[in-house]
Amino acid sequence: MTEEQKLLSPADPKMTARDVKVFYGVKEAIKGVSIDVDMDNVTAFIGPSGCGKSTFLRTLNRMNDTVASARVEGTITLDGEDIYAPSMDVVQLRARVGMVFQKPNPFPKSIYENIAYGPRIHGLASAKADLDVIVEKSLRRAGLWDEVKDRLNDSGTALSGGQQQRLCIGRAIAVEPEVILMDEPCSALDPIATAKIEELIHELRGRYGIVIVTHNMQQAARVSQRTAFFHLGELVEYGVTSDIFTNPRQERTKDYITGRYG
Amino acid sequence: MTGPAILLLLAGLGAIAWVSARARAMRLADVARATGRRDAVHSLPGYHGWYVALWTLIPAAIFLAVWANVAPGLVTQQVLHDPAAQSLPADAFARSAILGEARAIAAGDQAAAFNPASNALVDPYSDAITKYGVIGAVLALILAFAGGAYAFTRIRADFRARTRVERLVMATLLVASLLAIVTTLGIVGSLLWESFRFFSMVSPIDFLFGLKWSPQSAAMGYGNDDAFGAVPLFWGTIFIGAIIAMIVAIPLGLMSAVYLTQYASPTVRKWMKPLLEVLAGVPTVVYGYFAALTIAPALRDLAVSIGIHSASSESALAAGLVMGVMIIPFVSSMADDSIAAVPQSMRDGSLAMGATTSETIRKVMIPAALPGVVGGVLLAVSRAIGETMIVVMAAGLAANLTLNPFASVTTVTTQIVQLLTGDQEFDSAKTLAAFALGLVLFIVTLLLNIVALRVVKKYREAYE
Amino acid sequence: MAEHTIKAFDEEIDRLRGLIAEMGGRAEAAIENAMLALQRQDKVLAAQVVEGDKRIDAIEAEVEKLIIQVIALRAPMANDLRDVIAALKIVSVVERIGDYAKNIAKRVPMIAANTRTLEPISLLPSMGQVAGEMVHDALNAFAARDADLALAVVERDTVVDDFYNSVFRTLVTFMVENPKTISECAHLLFIAKNIERIGDHATNVAEMVYFAATGQTLPDRERGGSNAAMED
Repeated sequence: MTEEQKLLSPADPKMTARDVKVFYGVKEAIKGVSIDVDMDNVTAFIGPSGCGKSTFLRTLNRMNDTVASARVEGTITLDGEDIYAPSMDVVQLRARVGMVFQKPNPFPKSIYENIAYGPRIHGLASAKADLDVIVEKSLRRAGLWDEVKDRLNDSGTALSGGQQQRLCIGRAIAVEPEVILMDEPCSALDPIATAKIEELIHELRGRYGIVIVTHNMQQAARVSQRTAFFHLGELVEYGVTSDIFTNPRQERTKDYITGRYG
Repeated sequence: MTGPAILLLLAGLGAIAWVSARARAMRLADVARATGRRDAVHSLPGYHGWYVALWTLIPAAIFLAVWANVAPGLVTQQVLHDPAAQSLPADAFARSAILGEARAIAAGDQAAAFNPASNALVDPYSDAITKYGVIGAVLALILAFAGGAYAFTRIRADFRARTRVERLVMATLLVASLLAIVTTLGIVGSLLWESFRFFSMVSPIDFLFGLKWSPQSAAMGYGNDDAFGAVPLFWGTIFIGAIIAMIVAIPLGLMSAVYLTQYASPTVRKWMKPLLEVLAGVPTVVYGYFAALTIAPALRDLAVSIGIHSASSESALAAGLVMGVMIIPFVSSMADDSIAAVPQSMRDGSLAMGATTSETIRKVMIPAALPGVVGGVLLAVSRAIGETMIVVMAAGLAANLTLNPFASVTTVTTQIVQLLTGDQEFDSAKTLAAFALGLVLFIVTLLLNIVALRVVKKYREAYE
Repeated sequence: MAEHTIKAFDEEIDRLRGLIAEMGGRAEAAIENAMLALQRQDKVLAAQVVEGDKRIDAIEAEVEKLIIQVIALRAPMANDLRDVIAALKIVSVVERIGDYAKNIAKRVPMIAANTRTLEPISLLPSMGQVAGEMVHDALNAFAARDADLALAVVERDTVVDDFYNSVFRTLVTFMVENPKTISECAHLLFIAKNIERIGDHATNVAEMVYFAATGQTLPDRERGGSNAAMED
């Protein structure tokens, strides 16, 4: 097995998607996508707007369930278990596969309560002291602890955009997920805040399986080990990031990456 | 010359002014354009047309409006100086009756006089009316011509007619909006004046803090002391409008809003929301007799069956319940708006943490929407305490200070209706009390509205 | 190839290619003229070649500046990135080729003294022609992004190497027979070596063109394939 194959089809995948198709009514939004997610590598989804990368990302923790007309075909497994099986508890699934959104969306509560929200609803902490530990640990992992430790009772919405996004990452981490899905997490942030998030992704890698959707190709190049290029609902090319950005195999990928798209 | 004729004539003049000014502007523009300078022509010919037409019409129209108010006085003056008027009786009432009749005959509104004395004055009257009519018409036409001519001479290729017309349009709109404000101020002024008269008879302290309300006894000559304590009224209003009605409206309104925004499918929502809003369109008098004829007796029977024999058939509960139902749409549509305004990302964020829909609603959506919901509730309260028909029909008239929802209580609005219906003298404390009550109600609802709008606005800013 | 959404990017790439084409053309002409000067013992032409090398160096500097600018401002990706990197390497190689041509031209006056040495010169022009064509084809391949043409250039390197080996043997034999010409023959030997190096560099350019066009490096081959592949 070559290095490339090892990276693209890891021996111990956390999540696998096989021939996944998503339909909105009769429209086929995702046309047969297969990828693997493991704990050691970051997977980036790139592609023009409306190419289906976010849609596909949302199938991975069944956030598409909230859209009534969406229908998913194919198999997606988490630790070998089909997440679309009737026996799968969606609420549990989302606790295991967390998500960070495009726009920072802290709840209008204090910083502390934002982090404590997940552990509370999942009953992860019985005493206040346990909760304090979780909050501190999550904020530390999200790289935010030093900035907010003296003002945990301030509103989460009072933080800067970049801090809010790290708070949201901390909030996702607090429920001990196995995989974190990030949907354009830096699109609303300035370059410095973006760099901090990218560094954070780098630090989180290995502890969590990470999938990131991004419009910023340089970002995909910087943070990921695997890159999937989507176009019109198709997975056009899926490869090792350094290959995709130096020597893409598909004409469409090349045109997109070199700025010749459209 | 009659009113409609002069108006038609003015309109014709305006049209002529428009057409001729436009034509002149077009010619000037052609000449100016020949010079080739880009800024040689400022406004399109149409604007010049409007400019001149407005100058023709507006001064004349203003003059006519003033004249219409001044002319009758001048007419009467002239008639009174007529020799035929010297025989008029000295009694002011009889005099004005005769004058009125003569005027009606002269204007053609009445065929013949009941009072023979009027006949003598018909001719002087018609003379005077004709004279002043002609004067008015001539003056109006002169003004129209003068205005039109002034404006017409100002037409030049680089004249900024467009800007001028814009300013005139703005002035017109300003006047229109001022009219509504001035009316409101007038109402408030009269309310204040009448209340001031009331408070010169009854001390404001007694009124605001007195516990006994019996204006009838004051009217019967037992004195104003102790008769105008409005606290039982305030209590009744609060009890029905802000307590019982809200106990019904807040949970039901909120729950229906949550259902409609979070659970209902788009089809269900499409049908349910308008249906719910129809409730707001039902005339309150319909709620009133529903409360009085259906709910109140049913409640009394219920109370009696559980052993409360003092239950009244005009209970606070009946009025409050029905009022609560009436304002459900207010609460629910405000709550609906504010829940719908909570960003979808907030909801997604919670769901993505593995929260269930109801957890998300309870712990994230409602807290986030709370300011908007509170604003909606405050607006609903102000609506409920100002509501009249339901309480008039269902709440009763007895000014009781009681906590028993089955007892009869009365409200501010009911008492205003009571105090002002029937033949009244407008200078007794009993009648003037209605204005004082109205003032209190006005101030309270105004404050509630201000607070509610503030709260809602602040909240809107937070998410946009 | 489709245009970039950002047109200025295309313009810069075009300018880059234009400069490299000009540079290649000048290097090619320098080789040809150096060989001509050698054949005709034309010192004036030789001096022109030496002078012309300055322009090649100037173009190299200009291209490097342009490439740094493109990388900084356009962040080229994939084939664009490979093109730009290949271009950066190609100019330094072409500059070296120019230097070799200059080197050859500089030796012309030293050989001119002794007409007897013209005998072994007969092989050198054909050798120079092959090397010049390799440079020409390698740069054409870059312009056309033609991987096959680049491969053909790489293949042809053995021809130059074979030429070199035979020139080497001929000169050694000649020197043994005519010890008086050793000085001139040594110069000729260096000229042959220079031409051989030009061939090697043309091969390098072709390899880079192949990488730029395909994204693949050529499989390892016997470098130069000659015992004479020692660096000078």
